[in-house]
Amino acid sequence: MAKSLRTRLRASAKLAATLAVAGALNAVLALGGTSVQAAGKLNIYNWGDYINPEVLTRFTKDTGIEVTLDTYGTNEEMLAKIQAGATGYDIVFPSVHMRDIMQKLGLLHDAKVNTLKGFENIDPISKRSKLDPESSYCLPYAWGAVGVFYNKAEAGEVKTWDDFFALADKGKKITMLDDLRETIGVALIKNGYSVNETDADALKQAEAWLIERKDKISAFSYDIVSLVQSGDIAAAHWYVGATLYTIQEPDKLGFVIPEEGATMYQEDICVLKSAPNKDSAVAFLEFYMQPEIAALNTKQQVNGTANVPARDLLPPELKSNPNTNPPADVVKKLQIFEDLGNDLRKYNRVWTKVRTAQ
Amino acid sequence: MARRGDTRRLAFLLGPASLFLGVFFIGPLAVMVVYSFLEPGLYGGVEWNFYHWNYGRILGWADGEWEEFDAVYAQIFLRSARLALTNVAITLIICYPAAIWVSGLSARWRTMVVFLITLPFFVSLVVRLFAWVLILRPSGFLNSSLMGLGLISEPIDIIFTETAVLIGMAYILLPFMFLPLYASIEKLDRSLVEASSDLGASPLQTFFRVTLPLTLPGIAAGSVLVFIPSLGNFIVPDILGGAKVLMIGNLVEQQFLSARNWPFGSALSVMIMAVMFVLIVLYLRSMGRQEARQ
Repeated sequence: MAKSLRTRLRASAKLAATLAVAGALNAVLALGGTSVQAAGKLNIYNWGDYINPEVLTRFTKDTGIEVTLDTYGTNEEMLAKIQAGATGYDIVFPSVHMRDIMQKLGLLHDAKVNTLKGFENIDPISKRSKLDPESSYCLPYAWGAVGVFYNKAEAGEVKTWDDFFALADKGKKITMLDDLRETIGVALIKNGYSVNETDADALKQAEAWLIERKDKISAFSYDIVSLVQSGDIAAAHWYVGATLYTIQEPDKLGFVIPEEGATMYQEDICVLKSAPNKDSAVAFLEFYMQPEIAALNTKQQVNGTANVPARDLLPPELKSNPNTNPPADVVKKLQIFEDLGNDLRKYNRVWTKVRTAQ
Repeated sequence: MARRGDTRRLAFLLGPASLFLGVFFIGPLAVMVVYSFLEPGLYGGVEWNFYHWNYGRILGWADGEWEEFDAVYAQIFLRSARLALTNVAITLIICYPAAIWVSGLSARWRTMVVFLITLPFFVSLVVRLFAWVLILRPSGFLNSSLMGLGLISEPIDIIFTETAVLIGMAYILLPFMFLPLYASIEKLDRSLVEASSDLGASPLQTFFRVTLPLTLPGIAAGSVLVFIPSLGNFIVPDILGGAKVLMIGNLVEQQFLSARNWPFGSALSVMIMAVMFVLIVLYLRSMGRQEARQ
């Protein structure tokens, strides 16, 4: 449900840069394809702009395996395409709850990831799947918290969700994400429930809590980066990817994981059952478990890595950053979404009510 | 023999268009109608069981366990219709005088103006709407201009309100109102207007009894063309309304993406299309009557 976080994060802010990178990547990949006699192929299906292109060029240089990259914008889009029988892709990058769905639907190949070279680098806490608690199917890829991105001049210091909503009482503008799981998730956390709660009364309570605050929320939106930068919005419920901007302007912009707790996202790399190049896929998983490769990716993506030794290789502004690399007690307060099955309909109903409320 | 030749020629001439419509219009439409009567699959898609609750949720019956009748859907529908009608009124009020003015210009200028009106279509809609975010935000162009002129002392709250949604919708749909209006106003026989005033009618009388009835087809065409996309629009409420105003288009989008309920999304779409269909039939019938009268 961390819908479009990768795409919109950069699509709005760095469209031109992205296009340039994509162009360069294509050129490099084309070169790689001609210069190295095909040792194999690897077809990647990933979120838009969710991997450092340098990682792929390094992979081709090291192994001689040619890489192609296709992208999607949401988990659902990817699932629909794979379910509809799209073949040819070797690895995909679903969120944890979506990888569970895919495993249930028999779409994933058991790559025995936990027996591969380099798995000892992976943080055990990132083995978050319910269905695959030992990470045999998929490799934890990247993760991050969803907290509050704010303009220091407008918002002062924000530490809690209460601080966040209090800004609205002072006439400042705040926004929340246009995502039912994320925004209902905050309401559930504030009312002391799990973000995967399915009890009808708990959801009613969360609904009432949100509707009570609807007047304070200026908008439900992903596309707020430039508005927070300009101060038109004082604070926004947003992804840790905002660190990209807070590093550039630390005196002006801030990001915080609220004290009451927050949600988090994590994507895993999974090999598809229909993958034509399973050996290349395994080669990529082993390649990505090298700390310097994971660090190379994290440095460009500005999020969290599951690779423990990689964290020490990060530039200081990321390594010591309490948002991208939070201490253990903060990590404990982060909740991840699970697949809700049919109960998703209850959330959908709450969301429709919240958005229609006057 | 000749008749068979005609049939073959007709089939040859109509074949490509029919095939195109069949594959790209009737086909998807049929899928949508069929899906709207099926059970939602757990992870998107459908289960092949007959399932009428999708309509029940909207129209008033439900099984009470998984599907719950909720008046909220009718409310969303009415709200969308109200916004779409308001938008028709706004675009009409702006375009009617503009079209009259343009039709009085020289031929060269008229071509120029029509070209300028279609010019925004060359730029992506989303980009143009983000430009409006920059214009309407508190520190944006509109507020800083008004404050610079001393007309207001505090920025006015426009962005993320219904006003912003109406501004955005009127902006993107103006050409759809202007072009049919312009076409019918340009065709208007000026001598009838002159005759009316020669015979002693006041300008107001002339307008209401001559100009307006004669340009009614343009008004009707423009209204239908503006109403339909306004009703289904979900990008403008998302970007300029801050997704706080849930429109029927947003609801459909939500069903297909985050809610994974394709059949309910299909049922909602079928309902929208039914409304549109009725409107278009009414429009065609009134046009038919008009022609019969002339």
